[in-house]
Amino acid sequence: MALIVFDCVSKAYSGQTALHDFSLTVEPGQRVAILGPSGCGKTTVLRLLAGFIAPDAGTISIDGQVVAKNGKILQQPEQRHIGMVFQDLALWPHLTVAGNLEFGLKAQGISKSERIQRINGILQLVEMDTYLRTRPAQLSGGQQQRVALARALVLRPKALLMDEPLSNLDEELNQHLRGELLRLHAQLGFTLLYVTHDRAEAVEIGTCVVRMRQGSIERIVSTEELKSR
Amino acid sequence: MNTRRVTLCAALLVLLILGVAPIALMFARSLSVNGAFSLESYQHLLATGRSWQLLSNSLGLAMITAVICTLVGLPLGLLFAKTDLPLRRVFVLLFTLPLVIPPYIMAVSWSDTLAPHGLASSFFGPATTQKLSGLLFGSPGCVLVLASTFMPAVMLATMTFTRTINPRLEEAARLSARALRVLGGITIPLIWPGVLLAATLVFLLALGEFGVPTFLRYQVFAVESFTQFTASYNFGAATAAAVPLALLTFLLLGIEWFALREKIQPLRPASESDSNYHVSLRSYRVPLFALVSILCAIVVLTPVLSLLLQGGSTQSYLRAFRVVSDSLMRSIFLAAIGATALTALGFFTGYLIHTRGLSIWRAVDAGTVLLFALPGTVIGMGLITLWNRPATNFIYATPLIIVFGYLAQYTALTGRVTVAGLTLVPASMEEAAATVGANWMRRLGLIVLPLVKHALVAGWLIAYIFCLRDTGIAMLVYPPGYDTLPVRIFTLMANGAPSLIAAACMLMIAATVLPLLGVAALVRTQRRRRLWR
Repeated sequence: MALIVFDCVSKAYSGQTALHDFSLTVEPGQRVAILGPSGCGKTTVLRLLAGFIAPDAGTISIDGQVVAKNGKILQQPEQRHIGMVFQDLALWPHLTVAGNLEFGLKAQGISKSERIQRINGILQLVEMDTYLRTRPAQLSGGQQQRVALARALVLRPKALLMDEPLSNLDEELNQHLRGELLRLHAQLGFTLLYVTHDRAEAVEIGTCVVRMRQGSIERIVSTEELKSR
Repeated sequence: MNTRRVTLCAALLVLLILGVAPIALMFARSLSVNGAFSLESYQHLLATGRSWQLLSNSLGLAMITAVICTLVGLPLGLLFAKTDLPLRRVFVLLFTLPLVIPPYIMAVSWSDTLAPHGLASSFFGPATTQKLSGLLFGSPGCVLVLASTFMPAVMLATMTFTRTINPRLEEAARLSARALRVLGGITIPLIWPGVLLAATLVFLLALGEFGVPTFLRYQVFAVESFTQFTASYNFGAATAAAVPLALLTFLLLGIEWFALREKIQPLRPASESDSNYHVSLRSYRVPLFALVSILCAIVVLTPVLSLLLQGGSTQSYLRAFRVVSDSLMRSIFLAAIGATALTALGFFTGYLIHTRGLSIWRAVDAGTVLLFALPGTVIGMGLITLWNRPATNFIYATPLIIVFGYLAQYTALTGRVTVAGLTLVPASMEEAAATVGANWMRRLGLIVLPLVKHALVAGWLIAYIFCLRDTGIAMLVYPPGYDTLPVRIFTLMANGAPSLIAAACMLMIAATVLPLLGVAALVRTQRRRRLWR
């Protein structure tokens, strides 16, 4: 069964179309890269899936359950079990690394012992376990990326959404973190929706690439096909 | 020295002469008797048990007011800025009303409400109203009036700081937590330093307020200082009573500055594409709307309606207008002059602070805030100390001294608004003009000023309101025959007819609110025109 289904979804902001008749199916464990120029509706796809906005028309389903339909949000963001890494990372500046990871776990009612175990586990995975008591402002750009990733993954989400998370980094660090992300995916097997405007990044991260233009899907191609061109 | 530096130094000099020098001189004079150093005034002040009583009354009143303002203003600010509560813009305007009029007018209106034939009597009956009226005259009444007057400061600060939070921070939390938990765990901790700053300002404003405690007969330091000066003309005692207020202001702002300077989030310019994080109240929408409506009816509408009814018929209002028209016109004129001067001085101090144009920009920032937080009576006494001498009588004997007072106290307002406006203008704008050969004045006039014009208009309006409602400064320094409307109403309170006082208060409210409504209508028309295009 498909994990995520967008069925003829449309969305407009103040009369301006952001997404038009958008349909997409994502299988569990799949890595989907959404590629397109600025303003083509890539981020809107993620925001609709996360539950921050409602579609004007169409249906969105997660794990077989309709979560939003025709202008209505049927399932709130915290009930969807979706993780997200934002373009500006959105790490909470008043909380430590541990605090950033613990906030969601506490809100989900997870016991203290399990919280500690999960936080330590995921921080070891992203090699940030020595920074538990550090505040985000004291970390480098790459370290902040890892914490943002850990914060999203610690909740064991059904799908991880990433909105151009590496766009502000230099090429070397960008390359390194792409490798890290693929390693984590191989270890944890999460479903990934990765938004980018960089073709090379999309090809490296996605198992399939969704090309978007002016709010619609232009075409969906497998990475193999793209690489062979 | 280049033009930029000379201009900024000139602005600094104006601040020093009008704001710092009077306070410094007043403090120095309080330490001398007959030209020799003496602590006699302070010894006298500290020797009596009454001083400690005054201090405890002042601190208690200010503390309770600040706590209530925070407890009410913070949730209201969050409700209006973050939720889909119906009519929230109307509520913001209504709750802000008490802040823009002199606080003692709210005291008069509550007194009218709880009078034997007042509005409350028709609802609760004479016996209950009499009990409530007894409570009004004393500390509970002062707390009620000051809390309803200054609460909007916390509410507006909450709204402002809430809107400057990066919405992604809240959305990131929303992925795993309910809306209420996001407010408690992310939003409030992020805006808390700003709210605390507003609460401190409320504490200081309540500490320096003399009009309300005078009317409601509650003894505090600000009343003591005012009475020593106006009734006994004992300058030494008045100054000595004012100094504890000034020292407390220094101390609190100092602590606040050191504790919070790194914690207050920098204002984030909201981009057009930013969708601010909003909470849907769903089933709580109606009960919360009812709760806010009741609160608004009690703390804002009841006292204003009471004044309106007490004012009487149209004839009474016309009579009141004839009696106070000269003061009203003078108030409007002086407020307009003061606001214009404040906008100019605020622009240069704001520019100085924003661009760190002089090495002492932090001191300028802290100094203007300190002067704003000082009680108006303290500024007034400082002005008298400095300017009441034959050589400067050409200033002291004219309404110019009132404008000087406005400049001394309210520059922080226009300065801060300018800084907020300049934050939205990239430094590259001015730099680009410099690269094509424009000198500083040209860059300022043709690039920076047009880009911050909306902030300057907002600053002018805020300054106009504060100058118009000012009582503390004008009360002490107005030259004979040049009283302002707040001063006239305050003096009428001693022996004027209640209907005349109420009608004059309503005229004061109209003079404050009408320009605001005019500007709001203008802004709305401009927005509509832009949309049509």
